[in-house]
Amino acid sequence: MLQIENTLFTIVMLAYFAAMILYFAFIAVKKDAVARVAVGLQIAGFVLHTAALVCRGIGAGRLPLTNQYEFATSFAWGLCLVSLIFVIRFKFPVLGAFAAPVIFLIIGYAAMQSKDVKELMPALRSNWLGFHVSTAIIAYGAFGVSFVLSIIFLLRDRMKASGFLDQHIPDREKLDMISYRSVSLGLLFLTFTIITGAIWAERAWGSYWSWDPKETWSLVTWIVYAIYLHLRLRKGWRGRSAAIFCVVGFICVLFTYLGVNTWLPGVHSYA
Amino acid sequence: MRFAIVLLLVLALACAASSLITQNQTYAWYSQRYSERTAALIMALRLDDAFHSPWFIAITAILCLNLLLCNLLRLPQLIRRTKAETDPQNALRLPGDVSAQGVSDAEGVFQRLRMPKPTPCRTEDGRDALFAARHPVGLWGAWVCHLGILLLILGFGLGQMTQRQYTVYGVPGQIRRVGDTECFLTIDDFRVEKREDGSVAQYTTDITVEDAASAGSKGGSASISVNHPATLCGMKFYQNATGWAAQVDVYKDGAPIQQEVVCAGDYLSVKDKEGLVVLLNAFYPDYVMTPGVGPSTASDQLNNPAYLYSVYYQGQIVGMNALMAGEEVTIDAYTVTFSNPQSYTLIQVKVDRFTPLALVGGLVTLLGLLLALYIQPARLWAIRQEDGLWTLYGQSRKGGALFRERFNEAIEQRSASHASD
Repeated sequence: MLQIENTLFTIVMLAYFAAMILYFAFIAVKKDAVARVAVGLQIAGFVLHTAALVCRGIGAGRLPLTNQYEFATSFAWGLCLVSLIFVIRFKFPVLGAFAAPVIFLIIGYAAMQSKDVKELMPALRSNWLGFHVSTAIIAYGAFGVSFVLSIIFLLRDRMKASGFLDQHIPDREKLDMISYRSVSLGLLFLTFTIITGAIWAERAWGSYWSWDPKETWSLVTWIVYAIYLHLRLRKGWRGRSAAIFCVVGFICVLFTYLGVNTWLPGVHSYA
Repeated sequence: MRFAIVLLLVLALACAASSLITQNQTYAWYSQRYSERTAALIMALRLDDAFHSPWFIAITAILCLNLLLCNLLRLPQLIRRTKAETDPQNALRLPGDVSAQGVSDAEGVFQRLRMPKPTPCRTEDGRDALFAARHPVGLWGAWVCHLGILLLILGFGLGQMTQRQYTVYGVPGQIRRVGDTECFLTIDDFRVEKREDGSVAQYTTDITVEDAASAGSKGGSASISVNHPATLCGMKFYQNATGWAAQVDVYKDGAPIQQEVVCAGDYLSVKDKEGLVVLLNAFYPDYVMTPGVGPSTASDQLNNPAYLYSVYYQGQIVGMNALMAGEEVTIDAYTVTFSNPQSYTLIQVKVDRFTPLALVGGLVTLLGLLLALYIQPARLWAIRQEDGLWTLYGQSRKGGALFRERFNEAIEQRSASHASD
């Protein structure tokens, strides 16, 4: 099973890479047919990615969410899922063109991690693991999409007006609203992540909140996006300012995910 | 609102900065890692235990006060707004966020926008009108979310102030008092479940707890393992950790005088000689001595057991060494031996009566977010014009551009279906 997963993973990487190139080609040649193929390829990659994760789960005899490789590949899966939902829901293939490089970078990072399947330490043998990590994947994926949307928003101002732009990129107000929707999804799932993590920590470690660096940075990320939502209620904090804030928020997400694991040891050191 | 944002920003910065400094270390540790001046600054600002420092508690308390006042002040306004949201007469006077004229099938648009069945009503000047409001509860999202955060912080804070925590450790057969309580814990059994590759799958301790104050009536027995705590005598028992223990035998002039099981890191006071203490510093099941590195263990198998001990007399160290199996240490007339290495269990005991409050706070926060972000109040009303066609108006406080887009789509679809009819 793990051999199949390995093969599928390689195919998935190639599919995402090809989708990324096709998305770029779509922007270059401005042909809708190219965008349709790119979206189709991304969907195919996503289906194979799902199959790879299922194979990994069967091969390891547990949920594939417990080490750097598994979390990175799941993060890429979550980002791919949320970006596809937004691409299809809002008929917005340009979003795919900006999301594809981020997905490819994350899955590339996963490819550099050890793929060894290790047995779980007792603290990780809990049903809460699935709830806690899968909600984190959706949250990170949604924040990733809001980051991509914010980049598109910021770049849109610098692009020359053209029919292609008007046809394929929503206007500023709608872009801002879609980004807000994405942050909403992310914040909701991050709250789920923090609560399920707290319930699990209480059972495993006897304390639902220990100010561990991972916990603290999850809280920091939560507060940053809570500020974003508050700022949206104030006039003048939509559009460009909100987009910049989303970029800052995603930097916090990345630090919570990668920075804490790398520089700040704590009880989540195995993650 | 501005003050709340500043508070949140300060809290985020405080958390981020504090997480970058290793917590709960000594002045010497900080001065060695950074510099004397930085260490002094860390200690002066209480950054060594930032999350329990007065300044951090003050920020959190001000945030709580802000949330409380915000919710109290907004409550009457929110009740009024909810009433207005469902009041047709309130809506009929407004221009709406979006409107469309000349609509023949007004009810079809209501249906397409998934609004409830519209209620017929009349405008102030007597024209026919239709009105429907959807999900006014969505207006309460932020309020409920703030309430949840308040309960969460309150539960956490009260828990921190009132909770009691103890650790109990020992080997099967031992009876230990739980901290300063009247409860006594018997370790009935301790098992380490291992996989074929030698890795640990689970630690399980069978315990019996009796409350001496109530003649054992509130006690009971339970099996606890990692992720599976048990509640006995109003306290929660968690399987926390394990380590090595050894049997220590003390002889005086060759005659046995004392025998105890001592956990690594713990000590034995020789009963017969006041001030004489034997400390079991560490136990190495597969002892190796690497020059420049020191003692360590090659595996957790009992291949080459060694006991690192120290002996103190009247507070002064009088001996320290690593003792192999079968060896003994002699201090004057006393001889000490170590044997029968075994795993001990470390159990964490906790009493926190406010954990449920914090949990409720978390769930209420989640509900508030769900209401605030995903339940979108909207209202739609239609006024019949003199030509018999309807003018439709829509309003969504949170829907914005997407609501307007859906409204326009619904109007276009109704027009298209009528044209095809």
